[in-house]
Amino acid sequence: MGFSVDFAGVLSGPPLHWLVTGFFTTIVVTIAASVLASLLALLLLGLRISDNRPARTIAAGIIELFRNTPFLVQMMFWYFAAFGLLPSGIRDWINADHSWATLPGNIPLVSPEFIASTWGLGMFSAVFIAEEIRAGLLALPKGQSEAALSQGFGHWASLRHVLLPQALTNSFQAVVGQYLNLMKLSSLATAIGLAEITYQVRQIESYNSHAIEAFAVGTGLYLLLGLAMGRLMLAFAPKRRDGRRGAEAGHAA
Amino acid sequence: MPPELDVIWRNLDYLLWGRMAQGEPGGLLLSVLIALASGVLALVGGIALAVLAWFSSGLLRRVLFVWADLIRGIPLIFVIFWVYFLVPALFGGAIPGTVSVILALAWFSAAAVMYSTLSGLEALSGGQREAALSTGLSEMQTLFVVLLPQALVNLVPSYVSLFASLIKDTSLAFIVNVPELTMVASQVNNRTQLYPTTIFLFTAALYFVLCGGLSLLVRKIMRRPVAASWD
Repeated sequence: MGFSVDFAGVLSGPPLHWLVTGFFTTIVVTIAASVLASLLALLLLGLRISDNRPARTIAAGIIELFRNTPFLVQMMFWYFAAFGLLPSGIRDWINADHSWATLPGNIPLVSPEFIASTWGLGMFSAVFIAEEIRAGLLALPKGQSEAALSQGFGHWASLRHVLLPQALTNSFQAVVGQYLNLMKLSSLATAIGLAEITYQVRQIESYNSHAIEAFAVGTGLYLLLGLAMGRLMLAFAPKRRDGRRGAEAGHAA
Repeated sequence: MPPELDVIWRNLDYLLWGRMAQGEPGGLLLSVLIALASGVLALVGGIALAVLAWFSSGLLRRVLFVWADLIRGIPLIFVIFWVYFLVPALFGGAIPGTVSVILALAWFSAAAVMYSTLSGLEALSGGQREAALSTGLSEMQTLFVVLLPQALVNLVPSYVSLFASLIKDTSLAFIVNVPELTMVASQVNNRTQLYPTTIFLFTAALYFVLCGGLSLLVRKIMRRPVAASWD
Protein backbone atom coordinates (compact mmCIF):
# COMPACT_ATOMS: atom_id res chain seq x y z
CA MET A 1 0.00 0.00 0.00
CA GLY A 2 1.13 3.50 -0.72
CA PHE A 3 3.55 4.93 -3.23
CA SER A 4 5.41 8.19 -3.48
CA VAL A 5 5.26 10.43 -6.50
CA ASP A 6 8.47 11.89 -7.87
CA PHE A 7 8.21 13.80 -11.12
CA ALA A 8 11.92 14.68 -11.19
CA GLY A 9 12.66 11.18 -12.47
CA VAL A 10 10.46 11.87 -15.49
CA LEU A 11 10.97 15.56 -16.19
CA SER A 12 14.77 15.65 -16.31
CA GLY A 13 17.67 13.95 -18.07
CA PRO A 14 17.03 11.31 -20.77
CA PRO A 15 13.35 10.77 -19.83
CA LEU A 16 12.56 14.43 -20.49
CA HIS A 17 14.35 14.25 -23.83
CA TRP A 18 12.40 11.11 -24.75
CA LEU A 19 9.09 12.70 -23.81
CA VAL A 20 9.82 15.78 -25.92
CA THR A 21 10.74 13.77 -29.03
CA GLY A 22 7.80 11.45 -28.38
CA PHE A 23 5.42 14.41 -28.18
CA PHE A 24 6.87 15.81 -31.39
CA THR A 25 6.60 12.42 -33.14
CA THR A 26 2.94 12.09 -32.13
CA ILE A 27 2.24 15.55 -33.56
CA VAL A 28 4.07 14.83 -36.83
CA VAL A 29 2.46 11.42 -37.40
CA THR A 30 -0.96 12.88 -36.54
CA ILE A 31 -0.57 15.67 -39.10
CA ALA A 32 0.80 13.36 -41.81
CA ALA A 33 -1.93 10.76 -41.24
CA SER A 34 -4.66 13.44 -41.09
CA VAL A 35 -3.65 14.79 -44.50
CA LEU A 36 -3.57 11.27 -45.93
CA ALA A 37 -6.90 10.40 -44.27
CA SER A 38 -8.54 13.49 -45.76
CA LEU A 39 -7.41 12.61 -49.30
CA LEU A 40 -8.37 8.94 -48.96
CA ALA A 41 -11.72 9.89 -47.40
CA LEU A 42 -12.52 12.11 -50.40
CA LEU A 43 -11.61 9.27 -52.75
CA LEU A 44 -13.68 6.70 -50.82
CA LEU A 45 -16.64 9.05 -50.51
CA GLY A 46 -16.45 9.79 -54.24
CA LEU A 47 -16.57 6.08 -55.03
CA ARG A 48 -19.25 5.36 -52.41
CA ILE A 49 -21.70 7.94 -53.77
CA SER A 50 -20.84 7.73 -57.47
CA ASP A 51 -23.53 6.67 -59.93
CA ASN A 52 -21.43 3.67 -60.94
CA ARG A 53 -22.57 0.49 -59.21
CA PRO A 54 -19.26 -1.47 -59.20
CA ALA A 55 -17.45 1.57 -57.76
CA ARG A 56 -20.07 1.86 -55.00
CA THR A 57 -19.82 -1.85 -54.20
CA ILE A 58 -16.01 -1.78 -54.01
CA ALA A 59 -16.04 1.27 -51.72
CA ALA A 60 -18.72 -0.29 -49.49
CA GLY A 61 -16.62 -3.48 -49.25
CA ILE A 62 -13.48 -1.57 -48.25
CA ILE A 63 -15.44 0.41 -45.67
CA GLU A 64 -16.97 -2.72 -44.09
CA LEU A 65 -13.59 -4.45 -44.00
CA PHE A 66 -11.85 -1.60 -42.19
CA ARG A 67 -14.70 -0.83 -39.82
CA ASN A 68 -15.07 -4.38 -38.60
CA THR A 69 -11.46 -5.26 -37.81
CA PRO A 70 -9.35 -3.86 -34.94
CA PHE A 71 -6.99 -1.03 -35.82
CA LEU A 72 -4.12 -2.80 -34.04
CA VAL A 73 -4.47 -5.84 -36.33
CA GLN A 74 -4.55 -3.57 -39.40
CA MET A 75 -1.40 -1.81 -38.22
CA MET A 76 0.39 -5.14 -37.69
CA PHE A 77 -0.75 -6.29 -41.10
CA TRP A 78 0.73 -3.18 -42.79
CA TYR A 79 3.97 -3.38 -40.84
CA PHE A 80 4.70 -7.11 -40.69
CA ALA A 81 2.97 -8.33 -43.86
CA ALA A 82 2.36 -5.59 -46.43
CA PHE A 83 5.77 -3.99 -46.01
CA GLY A 84 7.41 -7.34 -46.82
CA LEU A 85 5.35 -7.58 -50.02
CA LEU A 86 6.89 -4.38 -51.41
CA PRO A 87 9.63 -4.84 -54.04
CA SER A 88 13.00 -5.24 -52.31
CA GLY A 89 14.39 -2.11 -54.00
CA ILE A 90 11.73 0.06 -52.32
CA ARG A 91 12.22 -1.70 -48.98
CA ASP A 92 15.97 -1.14 -49.08
CA TRP A 93 15.45 2.51 -49.93
CA ILE A 94 13.02 2.97 -47.00
CA ASN A 95 15.38 1.18 -44.62
CA ALA A 96 18.40 3.26 -45.66
CA ASP A 97 19.46 6.39 -43.79
CA HIS A 98 17.75 9.57 -44.93
CA SER A 99 19.37 12.55 -43.23
CA TRP A 100 17.23 14.93 -45.33
CA ALA A 101 14.04 13.33 -44.00
CA THR A 102 15.07 13.24 -40.35
CA LEU A 103 13.55 15.83 -38.06
CA PRO A 104 15.47 17.32 -35.13
CA GLY A 105 15.52 14.90 -32.20
CA ASN A 106 16.31 12.05 -34.60
CA ILE A 107 12.77 11.46 -35.86
CA PRO A 108 13.06 9.65 -39.21
CA LEU A 109 10.15 10.29 -41.58
CA VAL A 110 11.25 7.66 -44.09
CA SER A 111 11.25 4.52 -41.96
CA PRO A 112 9.06 1.41 -42.01
CA GLU A 113 7.56 2.40 -38.63
CA PHE A 114 6.61 5.94 -39.64
CA ILE A 115 5.29 4.97 -43.07
CA ALA A 116 3.27 2.00 -41.78
CA SER A 117 1.82 4.11 -38.94
CA THR A 118 0.89 6.99 -41.23
CA TRP A 119 -0.65 4.70 -43.83
CA GLY A 120 -2.47 2.57 -41.26
CA LEU A 121 -3.89 5.57 -39.38
CA GLY A 122 -4.75 7.37 -42.62
CA MET A 123 -6.57 4.41 -44.14
CA PHE A 124 -8.50 3.54 -40.95
CA SER A 125 -9.61 7.11 -40.28
CA ALA A 126 -10.48 7.77 -43.94
CA VAL A 127 -13.14 5.07 -43.77
CA PHE A 128 -14.77 6.64 -40.71
CA ILE A 129 -14.53 10.21 -42.03
CA ALA A 130 -16.09 9.17 -45.35
CA GLU A 131 -18.95 7.45 -43.51
CA GLU A 132 -19.60 10.48 -41.27
CA ILE A 133 -19.86 12.76 -44.30
CA ARG A 134 -22.09 10.25 -46.08
CA ALA A 135 -24.34 10.15 -43.00
CA GLY A 136 -24.54 13.94 -43.29
CA LEU A 137 -25.58 13.55 -46.94
CA LEU A 138 -28.21 10.93 -46.13
CA ALA A 139 -29.68 13.22 -43.47
CA LEU A 140 -30.45 15.93 -46.04
CA PRO A 141 -34.09 16.16 -47.13
CA LYS A 142 -34.74 14.47 -50.46
CA GLY A 143 -36.04 17.78 -51.84
CA GLN A 144 -32.50 19.17 -51.87
CA SER A 145 -31.18 16.70 -54.43
CA GLU A 146 -34.44 16.79 -56.42
CA ALA A 147 -34.32 20.59 -56.55
CA ALA A 148 -30.68 20.54 -57.67
CA LEU A 149 -31.38 17.94 -60.37
CA SER A 150 -34.43 19.84 -61.60
CA GLN A 151 -32.28 22.97 -61.91
CA GLY A 152 -30.21 21.06 -64.44
CA PHE A 153 -27.28 20.16 -62.16
CA GLY A 154 -25.71 16.78 -62.97
CA HIS A 155 -24.84 14.13 -60.37
CA TRP A 156 -21.45 15.60 -59.48
CA ALA A 157 -22.43 19.26 -59.86
CA SER A 158 -25.36 18.86 -57.49
CA LEU A 159 -23.07 17.16 -54.99
CA ARG A 160 -20.35 19.76 -55.30
CA HIS A 161 -22.52 22.89 -55.15
CA VAL A 162 -25.63 21.90 -53.24
CA LEU A 163 -25.38 18.70 -51.22
CA LEU A 164 -21.79 18.36 -49.95
CA PRO A 165 -21.55 21.86 -48.40
CA GLN A 166 -24.69 21.14 -46.36
CA ALA A 167 -23.55 17.61 -45.49
CA LEU A 168 -20.18 18.92 -44.28
CA THR A 169 -21.90 21.48 -42.08
CA ASN A 170 -24.12 18.77 -40.62
CA SER A 171 -21.34 16.30 -39.96
CA PHE A 172 -18.57 18.72 -38.98
CA GLN A 173 -18.63 17.87 -35.28
CA ALA A 174 -18.50 14.14 -35.98
CA VAL A 175 -15.66 14.56 -38.48
CA VAL A 176 -13.64 16.56 -35.93
CA GLY A 177 -14.22 13.65 -33.54
CA GLN A 178 -12.66 11.29 -36.09
CA TYR A 179 -9.50 13.41 -36.40
CA LEU A 180 -9.25 13.50 -32.59
CA ASN A 181 -9.66 9.74 -32.62
CA LEU A 182 -6.83 9.45 -35.12
CA MET A 183 -4.56 11.34 -32.73
CA LYS A 184 -5.50 9.05 -29.84
CA LEU A 185 -5.13 5.92 -31.98
CA SER A 186 -1.57 6.95 -32.88
CA SER A 187 -0.76 5.64 -29.38
CA LEU A 188 -1.11 2.12 -30.80
CA ALA A 189 1.81 2.73 -33.17
CA THR A 190 3.93 1.85 -30.14
CA ALA A 191 3.08 -1.79 -30.98
CA ILE A 192 5.16 -1.56 -34.17
CA GLY A 193 7.90 0.50 -32.55
CA LEU A 194 7.13 4.09 -33.57
CA ALA A 195 8.79 6.21 -30.88
CA GLU A 196 5.78 8.38 -30.06
CA ILE A 197 4.47 9.43 -26.61
CA THR A 198 3.21 6.00 -25.52
CA TYR A 199 6.42 4.28 -26.60
CA GLN A 200 8.52 6.79 -24.64
CA VAL A 201 6.30 6.49 -21.57
CA ARG A 202 6.85 2.71 -21.57
CA GLN A 203 10.57 3.26 -22.11
CA ILE A 204 10.71 5.46 -18.99
CA GLU A 205 8.82 2.80 -17.07
CA SER A 206 11.51 0.21 -17.85
CA TYR A 207 14.35 2.76 -17.46
CA ASN A 208 13.67 3.97 -13.92
CA SER A 209 10.25 2.42 -13.13
CA HIS A 210 8.59 5.81 -12.58
CA ALA A 211 5.52 4.28 -14.21
CA ILE A 212 2.79 6.31 -12.51
CA GLU A 213 4.53 9.66 -13.09
CA ALA A 214 5.28 8.80 -16.72
CA PHE A 215 1.66 7.75 -17.33
CA ALA A 216 0.45 10.96 -15.69
CA VAL A 217 2.61 13.09 -17.97
CA GLY A 218 1.61 11.02 -21.02
CA THR A 219 -2.09 11.34 -20.13
CA GLY A 220 -1.65 15.10 -19.74
CA LEU A 221 0.08 15.39 -23.11
CA TYR A 222 -2.74 13.55 -24.92
CA LEU A 223 -5.41 15.66 -23.19
CA LEU A 224 -3.51 18.82 -24.11
CA LEU A 225 -3.14 17.75 -27.74
CA GLY A 226 -6.82 16.82 -27.92
CA LEU A 227 -7.92 20.18 -26.52
CA ALA A 228 -5.60 22.09 -28.87
CA MET A 229 -6.70 20.10 -31.91
CA GLY A 230 -10.38 20.43 -31.02
CA ARG A 231 -10.06 24.22 -30.61
CA LEU A 232 -8.10 24.57 -33.83
CA MET A 233 -10.54 22.54 -35.92
CA LEU A 234 -13.67 24.16 -34.47
CA ALA A 235 -12.25 27.54 -35.54
CA PHE A 236 -12.75 26.31 -39.09
CA ALA A 237 -16.32 25.15 -38.49
CA PRO A 238 -18.55 26.17 -41.40
CA LYS A 239 -21.10 28.86 -40.60
CA ARG A 240 -24.72 27.87 -40.73
CA ARG A 241 -27.12 30.12 -42.52
CA ASP A 242 -28.72 31.05 -39.20
CA GLY A 243 -25.36 32.37 -38.07
CA ARG A 244 -24.57 29.60 -35.59
CA ARG A 245 -21.37 27.68 -36.04
CA GLY A 246 -22.03 24.22 -37.42
CA ALA A 247 -20.28 22.64 -34.52
CA GLU A 248 -22.43 24.22 -31.86
CA ALA A 249 -25.62 23.01 -33.42
CA GLY A 250 -24.86 19.33 -32.83
CA HIS A 251 -24.74 17.56 -29.50
CA ALA A 252 -21.43 17.73 -27.69
CA ALA A 253 -19.66 14.57 -28.86
CA MET B 1 -1.44 -28.21 -48.26
CA PRO B 2 0.51 -25.06 -49.25
CA PRO B 3 2.76 -23.92 -46.38
CA GLU B 4 0.90 -20.57 -46.14
CA LEU B 5 -2.28 -22.40 -45.16
CA ASP B 6 -0.51 -25.09 -43.19
CA VAL B 7 0.76 -22.45 -40.72
CA ILE B 8 -2.87 -21.56 -39.93
CA TRP B 9 -3.93 -25.20 -39.77
CA ARG B 10 -1.16 -26.15 -37.36
CA ASN B 11 -1.87 -23.19 -35.08
CA LEU B 12 -5.63 -23.17 -35.47
CA ASP B 13 -6.46 -24.49 -32.01
CA TYR B 14 -3.98 -22.05 -30.42
CA LEU B 15 -5.50 -19.10 -32.33
CA LEU B 16 -9.06 -20.14 -31.49
CA TRP B 17 -8.83 -21.10 -27.82
CA GLY B 18 -5.19 -20.92 -26.68
CA ARG B 19 -4.13 -23.41 -24.01
CA MET B 20 -7.67 -24.39 -23.17
CA ALA B 21 -6.59 -27.98 -22.38
CA GLN B 22 -4.32 -26.65 -19.60
CA GLY B 23 -7.18 -24.55 -18.27
CA GLU B 24 -5.87 -21.27 -19.72
CA PRO B 25 -8.29 -20.01 -22.36
CA GLY B 26 -6.66 -17.77 -24.97
CA GLY B 27 -7.00 -16.61 -28.56
CA LEU B 28 -10.43 -15.82 -29.96
CA LEU B 29 -12.16 -17.48 -26.99
CA LEU B 30 -10.39 -15.19 -24.51
CA SER B 31 -11.18 -12.12 -26.64
CA VAL B 32 -14.87 -13.03 -26.55
CA LEU B 33 -14.78 -13.77 -22.81
CA ILE B 34 -13.11 -10.41 -22.08
CA ALA B 35 -15.64 -8.61 -24.28
CA LEU B 36 -18.58 -10.36 -22.58
CA ALA B 37 -17.34 -9.70 -19.04
CA SER B 38 -16.50 -6.04 -19.66
CA GLY B 39 -19.66 -5.64 -21.74
CA VAL B 40 -21.91 -6.77 -18.88
CA LEU B 41 -20.07 -4.52 -16.41
CA ALA B 42 -20.19 -1.54 -18.79
CA LEU B 43 -23.89 -2.05 -19.50
CA VAL B 44 -24.89 -2.25 -15.85
CA GLY B 45 -22.49 0.51 -14.80
CA GLY B 46 -23.34 2.78 -17.72
CA ILE B 47 -27.10 2.51 -17.17
CA ALA B 48 -26.62 3.13 -13.44
CA LEU B 49 -24.58 6.26 -14.23
CA ALA B 50 -27.22 7.43 -16.69
CA VAL B 51 -29.90 7.04 -14.01
CA LEU B 52 -27.69 8.97 -11.60
CA ALA B 53 -27.17 11.73 -14.17
CA TRP B 54 -30.93 11.76 -14.92
CA PHE B 55 -31.80 12.52 -11.29
CA SER B 56 -28.88 14.74 -10.43
CA SER B 57 -28.38 18.35 -11.33
CA GLY B 58 -25.66 20.90 -10.91
CA LEU B 59 -22.32 19.74 -9.60
CA LEU B 60 -22.80 15.95 -9.56
CA ARG B 61 -24.12 15.96 -13.12
CA ARG B 62 -21.19 18.08 -14.25
CA VAL B 63 -18.71 15.80 -12.50
CA LEU B 64 -20.23 12.80 -14.31
CA PHE B 65 -19.85 14.45 -17.70
CA VAL B 66 -16.32 15.70 -17.04
CA TRP B 67 -15.40 12.17 -15.95
CA ALA B 68 -16.89 10.67 -19.12
CA ASP B 69 -15.20 13.24 -21.38
CA LEU B 70 -11.87 12.70 -19.64
CA ILE B 71 -12.05 8.95 -20.17
CA ARG B 72 -12.94 9.43 -23.81
CA GLY B 73 -10.29 12.11 -24.23
CA ILE B 74 -7.31 9.88 -23.55
CA PRO B 75 -6.22 6.85 -25.57
CA LEU B 76 -7.77 3.57 -24.39
CA ILE B 77 -4.27 2.15 -23.97
CA PHE B 78 -3.70 4.70 -21.17
CA VAL B 79 -6.89 3.67 -19.39
CA ILE B 80 -5.50 0.11 -19.44
CA PHE B 81 -2.12 1.31 -18.13
CA TRP B 82 -3.78 3.21 -15.31
CA VAL B 83 -5.82 0.24 -14.13
CA TYR B 84 -2.89 -2.12 -14.59
CA PHE B 85 -0.44 -0.04 -12.54
CA LEU B 86 -2.61 2.04 -10.24
CA VAL B 87 -4.86 -0.67 -8.83
CA PRO B 88 -1.92 -2.69 -7.43
CA ALA B 89 -0.27 0.49 -6.16
CA LEU B 90 -3.44 1.53 -4.33
CA PHE B 91 -4.63 -1.81 -3.01
CA GLY B 92 -1.40 -3.77 -2.83
CA GLY B 93 -0.92 -7.03 -4.65
CA ALA B 94 -0.92 -7.34 -8.41
CA ILE B 95 -4.09 -8.14 -10.30
CA PRO B 96 -3.98 -10.49 -13.28
CA GLY B 97 -3.58 -8.76 -16.66
CA THR B 98 -6.90 -10.15 -17.87
CA VAL B 99 -8.79 -8.68 -14.92
CA SER B 100 -7.20 -5.26 -15.37
CA VAL B 101 -8.11 -5.27 -19.06
CA ILE B 102 -11.71 -6.23 -18.27
CA LEU B 103 -11.96 -3.42 -15.69
CA ALA B 104 -10.35 -0.88 -18.03
CA LEU B 105 -12.60 -1.76 -20.97
CA ALA B 106 -15.66 -1.70 -18.70
CA TRP B 107 -14.67 1.70 -17.34
CA PHE B 108 -14.05 3.10 -20.82
CA SER B 109 -17.26 1.67 -22.31
CA ALA B 110 -19.45 2.62 -19.35
CA ALA B 111 -18.94 6.25 -20.35
CA ALA B 112 -20.26 5.50 -23.85
CA VAL B 113 -23.20 3.49 -22.45
CA MET B 114 -24.05 6.41 -20.13
CA TYR B 115 -24.15 8.85 -23.06
CA SER B 116 -26.28 6.56 -25.27
CA THR B 117 -28.70 5.75 -22.46
CA LEU B 118 -29.17 9.41 -21.58
CA SER B 119 -29.78 10.36 -25.19
CA GLY B 120 -32.18 7.42 -25.50
CA LEU B 121 -34.10 8.71 -22.47
CA GLU B 122 -34.13 12.25 -23.83
CA ALA B 123 -35.33 11.04 -27.23
CA LEU B 124 -38.63 9.82 -25.71
CA SER B 125 -41.30 12.44 -26.03
CA GLY B 126 -41.83 14.61 -22.99
CA GLY B 127 -45.47 13.58 -23.02
CA GLN B 128 -44.47 10.14 -21.75
CA ARG B 129 -43.02 11.60 -18.60
CA GLU B 130 -45.87 14.04 -18.02
CA ALA B 131 -48.49 11.36 -18.57
CA ALA B 132 -46.77 9.03 -16.13
CA LEU B 133 -46.43 11.75 -13.50
CA SER B 134 -50.06 12.79 -13.92
CA THR B 135 -51.24 9.24 -13.22
CA GLY B 136 -49.66 9.65 -9.80
CA LEU B 137 -46.38 7.84 -10.34
CA SER B 138 -43.36 9.29 -8.56
CA GLU B 139 -40.32 10.54 -10.52
CA MET B 140 -38.54 7.33 -9.56
CA GLN B 141 -41.41 5.10 -10.74
CA THR B 142 -41.76 7.16 -13.92
CA LEU B 143 -38.15 6.47 -14.83
CA PHE B 144 -38.02 2.81 -13.91
CA VAL B 145 -41.50 1.69 -14.97
CA VAL B 146 -42.28 3.96 -17.92
CA LEU B 147 -39.24 5.67 -19.45
CA LEU B 148 -36.34 3.25 -18.99
CA PRO B 149 -38.10 0.15 -20.38
CA GLN B 150 -39.02 2.02 -23.57
CA ALA B 151 -35.59 3.63 -23.93
CA LEU B 152 -33.78 0.32 -23.40
CA VAL B 153 -35.75 -1.36 -26.18
CA ASN B 154 -34.93 1.51 -28.56
CA LEU B 155 -31.29 1.39 -27.49
CA VAL B 156 -30.66 -2.28 -28.33
CA PRO B 157 -29.02 -1.43 -31.71
CA SER B 158 -26.66 1.11 -30.19
CA TYR B 159 -25.72 -1.28 -27.38
CA VAL B 160 -24.96 -3.99 -29.96
CA SER B 161 -22.73 -1.55 -31.90
CA LEU B 162 -20.92 -0.67 -28.69
CA PHE B 163 -20.37 -4.37 -28.07
CA ALA B 164 -18.85 -4.77 -31.55
CA SER B 165 -16.43 -1.92 -30.74
CA LEU B 166 -15.66 -3.65 -27.47
CA ILE B 167 -14.67 -6.84 -29.30
CA LYS B 168 -12.26 -4.81 -31.44
CA ASP B 169 -10.93 -3.01 -28.36
CA THR B 170 -10.02 -6.30 -26.65
CA SER B 171 -7.06 -6.38 -29.06
CA LEU B 172 -5.42 -3.74 -26.84
CA ALA B 173 -4.98 -6.38 -24.13
CA PHE B 174 -1.92 -7.18 -26.22
CA ILE B 175 -0.19 -4.26 -24.51
CA VAL B 176 -0.22 -5.97 -21.10
CA ASN B 177 0.61 -9.42 -22.52
CA VAL B 178 -2.83 -10.99 -22.17
CA PRO B 179 -2.94 -13.93 -24.63
CA GLU B 180 -6.07 -12.85 -26.52
CA LEU B 181 -6.38 -13.23 -30.31
CA THR B 182 -4.10 -10.35 -31.40
CA MET B 183 -1.38 -11.29 -28.90
CA VAL B 184 -1.54 -14.96 -29.88
CA ALA B 185 -1.43 -14.08 -33.58
CA SER B 186 1.67 -11.95 -33.11
CA GLN B 187 3.27 -14.78 -31.09
CA VAL B 188 2.61 -17.21 -33.92
CA ASN B 189 4.01 -14.64 -36.35
CA ASN B 190 7.19 -14.19 -34.28
CA ARG B 191 7.67 -17.95 -33.98
CA THR B 192 7.17 -18.82 -37.65
CA GLN B 193 8.49 -15.54 -39.18
CA LEU B 194 7.55 -16.70 -42.69
CA TYR B 195 3.87 -16.07 -43.33
CA PRO B 196 2.80 -12.77 -41.74
CA THR B 197 0.28 -12.09 -44.53
CA THR B 198 -1.72 -15.28 -43.98
CA ILE B 199 -1.55 -15.00 -40.20
CA PHE B 200 -2.78 -11.41 -39.99
CA LEU B 201 -5.37 -11.83 -42.74
CA PHE B 202 -6.78 -14.87 -40.91
CA THR B 203 -6.81 -12.93 -37.62
CA ALA B 204 -8.57 -10.00 -39.27
CA ALA B 205 -11.07 -12.43 -40.81
CA LEU B 206 -11.96 -13.83 -37.38
CA TYR B 207 -12.67 -10.34 -36.01
CA PHE B 208 -14.52 -9.45 -39.22
CA VAL B 209 -16.89 -12.40 -38.92
CA LEU B 210 -17.75 -11.48 -35.32
CA CYS B 211 -18.05 -7.70 -35.74
CA GLY B 212 -19.49 -7.81 -39.25
CA GLY B 213 -22.10 -10.29 -37.99
CA LEU B 214 -23.04 -7.93 -35.18
CA SER B 215 -23.35 -4.94 -37.52
CA LEU B 216 -25.61 -7.00 -39.81
CA LEU B 217 -27.70 -7.77 -36.74
CA VAL B 218 -27.92 -4.05 -35.93
CA ARG B 219 -29.08 -3.29 -39.45
CA LYS B 220 -31.72 -5.99 -39.21
CA ILE B 221 -33.06 -4.65 -35.90
CA MET B 222 -33.08 -1.08 -37.17
CA ARG B 223 -35.04 -1.97 -40.29
CA ARG B 224 -37.79 -3.56 -38.24
CA PRO B 225 -40.24 -0.92 -37.01
CA VAL B 226 -39.85 -0.48 -33.27
CA ALA B 227 -42.25 -2.87 -31.56
CA ALA B 228 -45.01 -0.62 -30.28
CA SER B 229 -46.35 -2.92 -27.60
CA TRP B 230 -46.75 -0.05 -25.16
CA ASP B 231 -49.10 2.19 -27.09
